[in-house]
Amino acid sequence: MKVAISYPPIVNDQGQKAMVSQNRNVQFFKTPTYLLPVTYAQAATWLRDLGHTVYWDDGNAQLKSYSQWKVDLIEFSPDVVIFESTTPVMNFYWRTIDEIRKEIPHAIIVMTGYHSMRKPEETFYKCDVDIVLMSNHVDFALSRLIPYLERNPSWREECLIEGLVIRKTDGSLLNTGRFRQVEPLDNSPLVDRDLVSWQNYAYENGNFLQTPGTYATSVIRDCMFGKCTFCRYNGPELTFSMMSVEKSLDEYERLINEYGVKEIFDDSGVWYRGKEARQFAEGIIRRGLHKKGCYFGFNTRFSYLDEDTIKLLAKANFRFILIGLESADDETLARLDKGYQIQHVETCLRWMKKYGLHPHLTIMVGYYWQTREQLLSTVKFVKSLMFRGLARTLQVTICTPLDYTPYHQECLREKVLLTDNYDDHDMSKIIVKTPIAHDEYYQAIRQLYGIAFHPRFILRQVLFLFTFRKRDWQFLFSYGWRAIRRVKNHMFNLTRHEGKLLPTKETA
Amino acid sequence: MHKQTHNVIKIISRSSGTFELVLERNSLEFIPGQCVNIGIPNTGINREYSTYSAKDDSELRFLIREVPDGQLTPKLRNLKPGDQVEIDGAYGLFTLEQPEDTQRRYMFIGTGTGIAPFHSFVKSYPKLNYKLLHGIRTLDEAYDRSDYNEYICCTSQMNDGDFSGRVTDYLSNQEIDPGVIYYLCGNRNMINDVYDLLRENQVSGSNIITETFF
Repeated sequence: MKVAISYPPIVNDQGQKAMVSQNRNVQFFKTPTYLLPVTYAQAATWLRDLGHTVYWDDGNAQLKSYSQWKVDLIEFSPDVVIFESTTPVMNFYWRTIDEIRKEIPHAIIVMTGYHSMRKPEETFYKCDVDIVLMSNHVDFALSRLIPYLERNPSWREECLIEGLVIRKTDGSLLNTGRFRQVEPLDNSPLVDRDLVSWQNYAYENGNFLQTPGTYATSVIRDCMFGKCTFCRYNGPELTFSMMSVEKSLDEYERLINEYGVKEIFDDSGVWYRGKEARQFAEGIIRRGLHKKGCYFGFNTRFSYLDEDTIKLLAKANFRFILIGLESADDETLARLDKGYQIQHVETCLRWMKKYGLHPHLTIMVGYYWQTREQLLSTVKFVKSLMFRGLARTLQVTICTPLDYTPYHQECLREKVLLTDNYDDHDMSKIIVKTPIAHDEYYQAIRQLYGIAFHPRFILRQVLFLFTFRKRDWQFLFSYGWRAIRRVKNHMFNLTRHEGKLLPTKETA
Repeated sequence: MHKQTHNVIKIISRSSGTFELVLERNSLEFIPGQCVNIGIPNTGINREYSTYSAKDDSELRFLIREVPDGQLTPKLRNLKPGDQVEIDGAYGLFTLEQPEDTQRRYMFIGTGTGIAPFHSFVKSYPKLNYKLLHGIRTLDEAYDRSDYNEYICCTSQMNDGDFSGRVTDYLSNQEIDPGVIYYLCGNRNMINDVYDLLRENQVSGSNIITETFF
């Protein structure tokens, strides 16, 4: 079959492009980050390996206009088109699906993604979609579904593959039940980098200290912890699956030796911990990959990595470690089910600093309960960490209820959502009732990003960068320039609603 | 959510590789099947463990497999009465939807310490209609088998269990009832194999609930 895995370019009225890919909260940026949707890339590879003709159709990363994207898709004339949904772009996708239906009437349109998997009926009601995937394991689900569609003309009535909702011939819906929660990840192929044009994602990514960088095929599907209320990797349908250490090491070796990448980031919700983390680092050292000038990075949680493991990771040339701090008050951490207390944060960061890792903190503001004291304590704590060199970079986002996560459902239950328009969930503004004025959160964002321009921080950063193996000025200049550009981009995007009131719906 | 320190009451060695951590309950509330994060104060490390005790027990119990080169479990095993641990939680959704409904039939399938949430289920809800299938290496890992009405242990390394072989071997020789709700907890390889087997026997994916431990 001819299968298109499609990401249409989405541009808002500010001329900003949406960044849509797995477990990324959609944000619109003038200078976007292009993230490889890893699971979809595995799906593309798998389907190609099964003999299907796969069209990797990321209109964003391929820098296409919407009209060009559509022309190209129509010309490909796919039998199946796959889209990935998330709350802030649902309206766009519903319109797009109806357009594609008119242009390519024979195509089977499949909607995937965290929003539609939790509200499948809504998407059937809103657009002329054929199948909604309730599984986030799109590679496994599609590797079963596409061959089935090819073999069975009466799939609408007879398909029993779990984790699907299908529009039957008479218009009614067939729900095939809960999807498989745990998959043998080693059975899914490593991403074929050429098939997905990996270079399109190799440069514009704030998580890369040096380029070209790439995302590894994720070693963990869903999340080993999986309890944080705001995160998509949380729900009764989710647990986690793990890839073997040796398979991932094989991929790293190939990426370095055959593709010449200088940075590999694993975007698993939470990367290996404990025994597997140490085995991986030892494997990197054993294969000599730590001496190839390539940095490695991943996402983790506080209280997951001990000092010995951090030391070993540093020796293996790991640098960029992304950790969700979220907030500096224990009440918020407890309400988010983060699973640790603020007193544990510094211990972990001190170890990382000691061995030369580059902790990147993610912080959120605008929780519907967040008081001025909680907000200010977060700003103060983060400033202290950054000025002491305990964290190197940061990213602040507005906590936005999305994709019917437990936090989203809590906001609905508590009647604190100020809008029922999905377009407003684009993380550019606060959309919940809060105990203090929204502008105070925007000011906090400004203060947090303002740390990047403080002379004390800049001095610490320059001294730190000199500890890297790579010390040339070109590296320092290009990294510094990209970092400043991203800070300005984030600051503009997240504070442009300062002083504006969100048109609100009535909430009780 | 609860987060505080709890005093250790005792450590009970259950087998060569497994021990039971018994803590003061304090005010911790949980739903059977949920887990908590346990850490030793000032070490900066914690891990998730399902509660082994019942929801109304006066003590908290956790069944823990010691990881020989692990960063936490050897320390937990060496705790003494009166030592403290930190607990965050409880959370998680590996719980029973309507535990009071005696018409619902369950099959709980766990490997090793993956039996913990099932122990909490049956001790908390005495009228549950269930069968428990426990995959272990040797019979000394058949923890508290007398607590269960219907318990079948499958031993993979000795012939001393109710069945010699893995849980998948046992299930392959049984008639699988598609009307039962299956809860799987433990090693992901076991979960994958059992899932395939159940699906091949017409069990709906909606009736298979899984929780991976490792």
